[in-house]
Amino acid sequence: MEKGEVLINHYGPLSYEEIGFLLNKMTSLLERHNFGITIRKKVYSAMVESLENIYKHQDVIKGSNNYQPKFSLILEKDKVDLTCSNSLLKLKIGPLKERLEKVNQLDKAGLKEFYKEVILSGNVTQKGGAGLGIINIAKVTENKLEFTFDDIDEQYTYFTLRITVSLQNQNN
Amino acid sequence: MTMEALYIEPSEFTPRVFFDPDNSVFEISGFSRPENTVGFYRPLIKWLEDYEDNVLAKNTNFNKSNLVLNLKLTYFNSASSKFLMDILMVFMKFHSKGNAVEINWYYDEDDDEIFESGEEISEMINFPFNFIPITPNS
Repeated sequence: MEKGEVLINHYGPLSYEEIGFLLNKMTSLLERHNFGITIRKKVYSAMVESLENIYKHQDVIKGSNNYQPKFSLILEKDKVDLTCSNSLLKLKIGPLKERLEKVNQLDKAGLKEFYKEVILSGNVTQKGGAGLGIINIAKVTENKLEFTFDDIDEQYTYFTLRITVSLQNQNN
Repeated sequence: MTMEALYIEPSEFTPRVFFDPDNSVFEISGFSRPENTVGFYRPLIKWLEDYEDNVLAKNTNFNKSNLVLNLKLTYFNSASSKFLMDILMVFMKFHSKGNAVEINWYYDEDDDEIFESGEEISEMINFPFNFIPITPNS
């Protein structure tokens, strides 16, 4: 298989401004590739939710510059791959894994129902998270989410989420 | 029975807001990905609650108000969607108290995502929206 074209490759701290910068970069790159609004909006939504998840939920390892947030956007022939990683306290693995596995089990109608359930009942956290980001990514991309938790030390894990936006059957 | 309008200038990450009590028209338009979602949306909900107390509750006429909510969003993140839902729930409360409520959902006619989001939200709150396409660059 042909190697994809790396459109964005980010490694380092992720500020709110940096997220805006990466989003603008993605938008202009996808416009240059002549993708239509549907694909651009799908990639946009997936990218916002995944980067904001890092911004809001990452646990920065004190006293270490390793395991910084990582984000890449790769254009393949028939899909766009988004991969993002961040350090996280291990005690958060359980609930996160549970949500990811649940989302992966649901079809389009099930995701819609789950979204509804969370939005109508879920409280917004102080950080502004509504617990909807991951459901939204799955709903928009209509693909299964791949994820890994790699050991950093006793306390921390390096969480990686891989998101695929298919280019087939779309008006691009 | 008067109340000051609420106007918020749009920014790169936040929508334009214009709640106009004189004409009973309430509009949120543009892009919504605030850094501080709670800080942006809480005051809108607070304003609507005050509007209920200061204007709607004091309307003792037989004819209740006709309230128009115009949503003209081009993009909103999932944290914003939670607050949009809260705003819609406030309008549903106004409706349940006898006020007529009309909700207009504007969408770029090429933008399936925004159109479908509107359909889903309308379904969730079990209240019909008017779907109004906007031709790009118009």
